[in-house]
Amino acid sequence: MDPSEVEFLAEKEVVKIIPNFSLDKIYLIGGDLGPFNPGLPVDVPVWLALNLKQRQKCRIVPPEWMDVEKLEEIRELERKEDTFTPVPSPYYMELTKLLLNHASDNIPKADEIRTLVKDIWDTRIAKLRLSADSFISQQEAHAKLDNLTLMEINTTRSFLLDTLNCMYKLRSNLQPGSSGGKAQDHQ
Amino acid sequence: MFITDIRKEFYDVVVNQRVALLVSSDIDALCACKILQALFHCDQVQYTLVPVTGWQDLGTAFLEHKEQFRCFVLINCGANVDLLETLQPEEDSIFFICDTHRPVDVVNVYNDTQVKLMIKQDDDLGVPSYDDIFRDEEEEGGDDSGNESDGGSEPSGKRRRYDEGEVERRIERQRAMREWEARSDPKLLNMCVYMYVCVQAAMVIFELAWVLTKDTKDMLWWAIIGLTDQWVHDKITHMKYVTDIATLQRHVSRHNHRNEDEDNSLSIDCMRISFEYDLRLALYQHWSLFESICNSSYTSCNFKLWSMHGQKKLQEFLADMGLPLKQVKQKFNSMDMSVKENLREVIEESSNKYGMKDIRIQTFGVHFGFKNHFLASDVVHATAALLESTEKDDSPGDNFIKALDCLSRSNLERLHGGIDLAKKKLMAIQQTVASCICTNLILSQGPFLYCYLLEGTPDVKLFSKPMALTLLCQYLLKMFVYGILRCSCLSLLPLIIAAPMDVEKRTVIVLGIPPESETSDKKNFFGRAFEKAAEGTSSRTLHDHFDTSIIELKMEDRTKFLDALITLLS
Repeated sequence: MDPSEVEFLAEKEVVKIIPNFSLDKIYLIGGDLGPFNPGLPVDVPVWLALNLKQRQKCRIVPPEWMDVEKLEEIRELERKEDTFTPVPSPYYMELTKLLLNHASDNIPKADEIRTLVKDIWDTRIAKLRLSADSFISQQEAHAKLDNLTLMEINTTRSFLLDTLNCMYKLRSNLQPGSSGGKAQDHQ
Repeated sequence: MFITDIRKEFYDVVVNQRVALLVSSDIDALCACKILQALFHCDQVQYTLVPVTGWQDLGTAFLEHKEQFRCFVLINCGANVDLLETLQPEEDSIFFICDTHRPVDVVNVYNDTQVKLMIKQDDDLGVPSYDDIFRDEEEEGGDDSGNESDGGSEPSGKRRRYDEGEVERRIERQRAMREWEARSDPKLLNMCVYMYVCVQAAMVIFELAWVLTKDTKDMLWWAIIGLTDQWVHDKITHMKYVTDIATLQRHVSRHNHRNEDEDNSLSIDCMRISFEYDLRLALYQHWSLFESICNSSYTSCNFKLWSMHGQKKLQEFLADMGLPLKQVKQKFNSMDMSVKENLREVIEESSNKYGMKDIRIQTFGVHFGFKNHFLASDVVHATAALLESTEKDDSPGDNFIKALDCLSRSNLERLHGGIDLAKKKLMAIQQTVASCICTNLILSQGPFLYCYLLEGTPDVKLFSKPMALTLLCQYLLKMFVYGILRCSCLSLLPLIIAAPMDVEKRTVIVLGIPPESETSDKKNFFGRAFEKAAEGTSSRTLHDHFDTSIIELKMEDRTKFLDALITLLS
């Protein structure tokens, strides 16, 4: 998958906005939205929130987890544990990037939040690398990882699968003169 | 007719239609266009943007688009000429004109249906009342000469052409620097002789955005650039500049106040506009201080940097401030912090000793991100350089788009490219001015000063463009007046400059600027003068530019045109 596809999926998440226009309920294939009344918060998907924000028709309310203290706690927890801790949102990285790029004036302490989220991401990716490394070196047959988000999985997916395929090719060619030595094509 | 409620009469009308935006090629128009584009994006209005460089361009663009569009928005063009007669539109076309050029043509004012002017009526336009003008249409001739007091009551009718004697007398009075305002009824007559500029287009459109409460800091920044453009190119008086700065300062504080809070400080990437009382040195933060002092008109005029004496004075000045030469010749960003700390105050103090009382000027600067700090005048110079770039494959349309791009925050490389071009342009201007003064190319022709740039002059291609040539003309006149003549009567003369425009077609571009003085009201009468002279000698001229004091002329007709002008103005 392309990271932009993952971002596209992340845009379906719901976020609260405060519109400055009024509109009746709109009926879309994916669900109903609205009604919109100026000054009253309403839940909308992120793609609509960003579009309205760019047209200066709303103010975005940052999600609850996007707060300096909460993120600091999560970061400390992540650094202590060896396994992956539960994440604030399954799309935390994408949402942070989208909201901070387009609506940073509505989010207090935006720079610190960006740094904290990046720290959490770095810690998790480091754990993922470690775990993949030990998986390969110990030649495990299967592994189970909890609390991974789609973006993190996507980051390692192609590399990990290609590596495993290569290792399989190398291992299967070790058997001298075996008929199964012909490497299978991997995509 | 004048629009009173810009939201109801303009915006609500265009928001549901497809609009053609015809934008003139100057920076104020670019800024107004940017703000309007941002508003259109918010409301998803379909528009077509057409850059126009002159009346012919406007006509062609109109012909191309008149089938598809009913609404035309003209920015910085079209107010000072009878639009309906020039363009011959259909009955249902509407024109919204946001133009800084004055005087406004009376037909445009009194047309109720098709022409709407986005101009505040309380601007001192001096538009005579309807009865005064449209009363006697059959009346021809009619001597409206020197009868100032009756000027309003017995008007010259709808015609805007005056007999030769009338024009000559008027221009003669201007030449002796009598204030026209002393006249009791300058109105219609004054209107047609003088060209000046008024509220910038960018400010009008910004106020529209403000009324719609859709104004952002980006739009405010563009409005600031529009005003600074008028000041850099010397189109407005100092008083007007200061008044407009005060208006913009109110908007800036409103925006800053709204967003800054102790607990919730804004991200560093957000745009911050600040009021600065900064030095009048062009591009000094992107250049070395020494280069900037050498290439800014204010300082180089006062030091007379074309002479050895002037260079020595500059060295003295730097020594007086205690700035080491090595520091001063470095890029500004790499100067020592200790030197940079009180730089502005130190320079102001020293420059007072050298007779430069106004080295600091009120302006605005913008910060975004950690590295990016620009003053409004920096952006104006960069955009002007991009707009008139004379590189090989740049068409005017391309230049327009590039200049428009460099105004947005996301195109910083283009802005930096523009700054580099602007540096080259300023250096070229400085060298040309120095050589003109040293080789005495400025001649007094009687009623005006005249300078002709020969074809072999280095960088003469740069000066085939109106804005660059205007800058050169102004620097030249300032240099001449402050440098050479202190108190002689020659210092109250206007300056006409001619430079080769197109070598194959053998044309020159001619422009005139009013005399340089502290109390000058920047009103320019050369438009009419040029027209008259051209008619009189049947020279082949092209009065294409929106600013009537800039024309194109065939090289061969230059001498007889000049002679006619001399006779006209003396």
